[in-house]
Amino acid sequence: MSLLTTTTGTATPVARRSGTARTDRTRRRGVLLAAPAIAVIALVTLVPIAFSVYLSLSAVRPGVEGFEFTFVGLANYAEALQNPAVWEAFAFTGTYTVVSVTLQIALGLAVALAIDRMTRWAGITLAMLLIPWAMITVVSAQLWSYIFNGVYGIANYLLMLVGVIEAPVTFLGNPTGAFVALLVADTWKTVPFVALILFGGLRAIDKELYAAAKIDGAVPARILGQITIPLLRQSIITAVVFRVLQAFGLFDLPFVLTNGGPGTSTQSIAMLAYNALFQDLNVGYGAAIACLTTAIVAVFAILFLRTFKVDESHD
Amino acid sequence: MTKADGTTRTHARPPKIKPRLRSADVVGALIGVAFLLPVVWLTVCAFKPVSELAAFPPSLLPIPPTLENFGAAFVDGDFGAFLWNSLIVAVLSTVVVVCLGLPAAYGLSRTRMKGSARILTSLLIVSVFPVIAVIPPLYVILRGMGWLNSYQALIVPYVAFGLPLAIWVMRNSLLPISPQMEEAAEMDGASTLRTIIQIIVPQALPGIFVAAVLTFVSCWQEFLMALSFNASAQYQTAPVGIALFGGAFQLPFGTIFAASLVALVPIFVLVLLLRRWVVDGLSTGAVKG
Repeated sequence: MSLLTTTTGTATPVARRSGTARTDRTRRRGVLLAAPAIAVIALVTLVPIAFSVYLSLSAVRPGVEGFEFTFVGLANYAEALQNPAVWEAFAFTGTYTVVSVTLQIALGLAVALAIDRMTRWAGITLAMLLIPWAMITVVSAQLWSYIFNGVYGIANYLLMLVGVIEAPVTFLGNPTGAFVALLVADTWKTVPFVALILFGGLRAIDKELYAAAKIDGAVPARILGQITIPLLRQSIITAVVFRVLQAFGLFDLPFVLTNGGPGTSTQSIAMLAYNALFQDLNVGYGAAIACLTTAIVAVFAILFLRTFKVDESHD
Repeated sequence: MTKADGTTRTHARPPKIKPRLRSADVVGALIGVAFLLPVVWLTVCAFKPVSELAAFPPSLLPIPPTLENFGAAFVDGDFGAFLWNSLIVAVLSTVVVVCLGLPAAYGLSRTRMKGSARILTSLLIVSVFPVIAVIPPLYVILRGMGWLNSYQALIVPYVAFGLPLAIWVMRNSLLPISPQMEEAAEMDGASTLRTIIQIIVPQALPGIFVAAVLTFVSCWQEFLMALSFNASAQYQTAPVGIALFGGAFQLPFGTIFAASLVALVPIFVLVLLLRRWVVDGLSTGAVKG
């Protein structure tokens, strides 16, 4: 079951009585209990995003009494959109998102199906999958940069052992190799996460459906396409949304593994905004890039919200 | 319910037949082992002498194993200070997240509060929204407050970014609790807070644990905010320390791996101890990676 479906049918009887004084009281109580948490979230996420829009319309200079803001209209956005580095970063991040999420969902589904078929050792296998998931991304980046090292990396050794290459390759020295290195490192950490979400969905599928399909003579591919994937729809959507938003915010991995290189070929949008802020000390410009990212992600999030229903459990 | 091995909840297995090697089991286990291999390599290399780390072809075992990398990380490099900062920030953030999140989860699941569905969906989006969106404004705000280079510069945003997920997880664990005990407590005149602490908390404990572990793990891993808001080494956390190790030309991989291994131990232990619950939490889809 995914969280999109677990919420149905558990209405509390308390909540069903309507129009009584008690109802009003619990409604007010609900607001009071939720208010502090919601306020903190809003203050630290929504308010800053609104402030970021203001920053993106300003020239921000560090002054004696903190930052000084001058309204400059859309100048920061114009500068960003005229900069080929910005387009390159958006193109890289977009390509990376599509490629990595497609690959990870496919592999995640394969791993989930494999675990679902296990009758023994499933517990220990799930435990082994939790390890990459719990990995600190920065550590993973350092580890993979060692594995992909052009001089002594074990990736070269293994590829030479099976005869794919004849001499060591400098993976991180060319754009394709660096892209692949990022993809491998990311996929290693993320496939377990996707697999666990999809495995939860698989567990909820009635196994008798498979038995019935088999009796009707359906081949495995047909069962996958016509029973498993449609019934996993909600879990797949959840995994895709989480992965897309994370991939679009890609930062830790390229910052450490490729440092955006070679050149700027693996510079993500988040890295670009970070560099604008902390290398060029151009807060307004960095805010403009951050706002562009926010806008793109928000559009995706709104599209997602339309396919997503939460039961209020008392309507 | 989930069995102790965390495998199944819906279908009862037939009584155990004497073990026979099934290909599905072997394939599954091999997949698990394959995902473990990079961490094995990290561990092996943490115990290799520096001279062997740059050997090609690489030696597959650290013979003889050495602790010199750990010495370099903790005695010469003072990596313990980074771990200490991580610990303070992650523990305090987790405590605040649970204290604020549990009442919110209660309010959003067990009262007639209006618009809770919309709030819950928005929370889900916030929990996975790219952090870079708030880096420029938060940097300016924190600087204005004089909070750059402090623990609270990280704790406050970590709480805000950790709450949505924790609220979701705890809400899902509150939903199945029967309302009768609550009603009885209320009849006896117990306050809402007392009802939550005495009636709800004991029954929702697994959900609270999962929420706490997930919050801790994500605080322990967080890099972008830690890098942006705390430039002073005095307040840098472990991921920042690991990322910034070394000079421009040569990365001291042995030191990095030794430090990393120690930084990974707490989350690995936590996650494996609460494995069953974490798998359940993950597979109900309410967790980001």
